[in-house]
Amino acid sequence: MAGEEHGPPLTEAGEPISEAEALRRLRQTDDQSLQYYAAWWLGRMRSRHPDTVPLLRSALRQRQPRDPSAGVEHNAVARNAARALGKLGDGGAAPDLLAALEDDDDGLREAAARALGELGALEAVEPICARLASGLAGAGAPQTNSPKLQEPCEALIEALGAIGMAAPAVVGVIEPFSGHDRPLVRSAAARALLQLTAEVRWGEVLLELLEHPQLQVRRAALMDLGAVGWRPALEPIRATLAENSLKLIALRGLVEHTSHRNEADPDTETVLRAMDDLL
Amino acid sequence: MTCSENPAAVIESLIRDVREADSALALLQTTRRLAAAAHPEAVPCLVEVLSFNNPGAAVAAVDGLIAIGTEAVEPLLANLDEHNYGARAWAVRALAAIGDVRGLGLLEEALGQDIGPSVRRAAARGLGQLDLTGLGDPEADALRQRCLDALEAGAADGEWVVRYGVTVGLERLVLPLPTTSPWSLRAASVLASLSGPPEEAEVVQLRARLALERLQER
Repeated sequence: MAGEEHGPPLTEAGEPISEAEALRRLRQTDDQSLQYYAAWWLGRMRSRHPDTVPLLRSALRQRQPRDPSAGVEHNAVARNAARALGKLGDGGAAPDLLAALEDDDDGLREAAARALGELGALEAVEPICARLASGLAGAGAPQTNSPKLQEPCEALIEALGAIGMAAPAVVGVIEPFSGHDRPLVRSAAARALLQLTAEVRWGEVLLELLEHPQLQVRRAALMDLGAVGWRPALEPIRATLAENSLKLIALRGLVEHTSHRNEADPDTETVLRAMDDLL
Repeated sequence: MTCSENPAAVIESLIRDVREADSALALLQTTRRLAAAAHPEAVPCLVEVLSFNNPGAAVAAVDGLIAIGTEAVEPLLANLDEHNYGARAWAVRALAAIGDVRGLGLLEEALGQDIGPSVRRAAARGLGQLDLTGLGDPEADALRQRCLDALEAGAADGEWVVRYGVTVGLERLVLPLPTTSPWSLRAASVLASLSGPPEEAEVVQLRARLALERLQER
């Protein structure tokens, strides 16, 4: 789970670089660790250069095989390219991301799903639902000899919530995962269902997870409540035992992501006051 | 813990409980009890708890240090954990809330140079709430000037949460001053620059606008 203060993923390449240098590094193909850093950099800096998206799409299509000597994970460049494409918000990248969603590498599928969610790509709803349709016994079952599940369920489910197509079939695919035995999957399901249906019961699932004994689960519930912008969570967010940094991110979400506010919900000034107190 | 009649023995026993806590929950509970005593002898132990990576216990320790107040300032300044930005953030939060002017140099340095956004944002807030009462005008003005310089530079920080902290610091720094004071005008101009594009975080824009409204309503 993301903490707050992550530096660049490769420390030896972590010195400040220019956009031109990032593009040069991504364009060359001899040194994948340079490409890896460049892809991250272009997404982080929200590069608007006309070459950026085409180069990232090409890096995503390459799917370089693992090179242990490069010191980076399997398909690392493609994964970072997918993440950057999600941040850059160019819907033209959707076809390549949809192709990556069918890759054998579940880490790449995860990155592609998150990016498609960020792009709000409606055309991703059907293939994502297809991957989740086998439910708890299929997609949600653990892999043998690995802590991972058969599918990157959290990323797939969160993408459906972000895309926001509230069709009954979509809701029906997600609902079983609210009963998954892993709290992080339940949290992702409740988040997406709250986004899609605005039903209070899904918010209440997240509030329960805010009181979970594991810090990692409370952190995930904080991020999920922030992503939805569910204002009734203000007091429980203040009260939960977690870092102020994460509470501040969650409360920023309550300010910025609220789609509709009920009369009884805290107003923006009240949320801002809570943020002031957490600084 | 025993119900000793001797206050020093009680504090000692509360400190021992914290040191012997063998779980996150026990650390939280024992720290809360020690913090509630708000006794100066608890300061070194409460400062240690800031480094334990237990957010609940750290909140309790900060509350205790704030309640102890000026007597906690020197130990906080002397024991800043340079290897742990989480611990530094809690220490800066405590110093910010105590508002003792001896902390100013540290707050300036923290906002300008610390690698941890959580440290910088706490420092930004603290620069708005130094206790300047009892100082002569020239001295108070000189300190205000330093706070404003640091906050103005902090408005260009790369992290939204630090810029958010800067809006809060600016509001608190000049809210007690007349609208026409040069500090009010400078603070308002920095706040105006954060109240719309190119500021990219909507929440920072909203907070800056709220601060401007409050400054105008005075």
